[in-house]
Amino acid sequence: MGILNAFKVRMNTLAIVLIPVCIAIDWAGHAVASTLKLPLFLDSIGTVLGGLLAGPWVGGIAGLITNFISSGTVDPIAAPYSIISLAIGIAAGIGGYYGWHKTWPGRIALYVLIVLVASIGSTPLNINLYAGQSGVPLGDAVYASLVKSGWPTWLAAYIDEATGDIPDKLITVVVATLIYFGLPNRYRALFSVWRRQSGEPEPAPASSV
Amino acid sequence: MAGGLSLYAEGKSLLHRAHPLTKGALTLSAIAIAFIAPSIGWVLGIGVILLVLVTAAGVLRRLLAVAAAILLPITLLLLAVQGFANANNRTVAFALGPIVYYREGLAIAALAALRIACLVCATFLFSFTTRPADISEALMQRGLSTRMGYVVQSALQIIPQTLDMAGRIQDAQRARGLETEGSLPRRARAYLPLMLPLVLSSLVATQERAMALEVRGFGLPVKRVARFEFADSPLQRVLRWVLIGAVPAAIAARLAGWR
Repeated sequence: MGILNAFKVRMNTLAIVLIPVCIAIDWAGHAVASTLKLPLFLDSIGTVLGGLLAGPWVGGIAGLITNFISSGTVDPIAAPYSIISLAIGIAAGIGGYYGWHKTWPGRIALYVLIVLVASIGSTPLNINLYAGQSGVPLGDAVYASLVKSGWPTWLAAYIDEATGDIPDKLITVVVATLIYFGLPNRYRALFSVWRRQSGEPEPAPASSV
Repeated sequence: MAGGLSLYAEGKSLLHRAHPLTKGALTLSAIAIAFIAPSIGWVLGIGVILLVLVTAAGVLRRLLAVAAAILLPITLLLLAVQGFANANNRTVAFALGPIVYYREGLAIAALAALRIACLVCATFLFSFTTRPADISEALMQRGLSTRMGYVVQSALQIIPQTLDMAGRIQDAQRARGLETEGSLPRRARAYLPLMLPLVLSSLVATQERAMALEVRGFGLPVKRVARFEFADSPLQRVLRWVLIGAVPAAIAARLAGWR
């Protein structure tokens, strides 16, 4: 199973149509979290789900456009972070390609990978945008006390970002996996085109509907 | 029509009438230069230019209301944390009891806040004066794949619908006795019963949408013809190149010792 095979672009109409739905799920996840006044963003459930269901490109593009749309409407500061959402979708797609979401060690690996991608990717952006802070009061309190006790800025900035990402991405991955397994088998199989090996033939179209 | 989500309002100003790509180039280069520029004075200058453009577009009041809600908490947080804890802090500015604030940190926070303000103003300048469908249409006319254009436009329509449905599901689950208020663990437990029905129903609808698109020839490998052309002018074409060219020029100036 070459990893490059996962990145082969196999976008049928169904995969294209899934992307806007994943974007809407990202939005709804965040909206529901805000109405419940949960202290987390939870705005990448659709991105992770898209990656698991239909591969790195669907997940990545869903993440990228989610951030573009929110930067044009409610939160302009989301724009630079679109690259992180792209990476999260791709990471979920790689996990989905190897079937990580099906076993417990795999699920943990998926979670750790996504946390690492999100936190390592966001830290340089935070240093350039917010002088190292993450813009979340709890994380920034940690940042202030670490810098005050002489820690280097980049390490404090990383820990600041990670205090937010560790719980946020845990709920994101749990909810996305639960939704994945809540879908009918027949429906999940519709998206499995991207997992096909290069030599495998296209399935014959159904003779009648 | 992406009414529920878009900030765009009809207008007749020069910016409203400009080609979407000209406005896009303006926004991106203003943001890039604000982050390349070395000192508060330069960033302030870019901010003033942006505010003049916003006033010319007649959206100043609306923009200030939206931007203040975003910028105020971030600016306060930056000033509070950087003035208190920053690796460069040397000179004491003032002390609030045991908490000492330093001049260097406050200056760094002010610069960061101003840059973020430029980013917010430039982005809102774009989204207040440009119909969201126009930018993807303009990009498609310049070679963006029509499938990506579909993704953006249909997301803009599906998001408000999905948010409406989230509200309805919340009412329905509450009527069945789901607790959505109270302590944090209780509110957290309500998250899944609200999300699952929403996501499952919107995912299952995709199959129908895909079939509806297919029968209308969505997947056909044919060349599409644009329904309308955006008004463009040689002046705007030159302006776009100048704006784009200003970014590498600013980087070069910075490397050559622009302080």
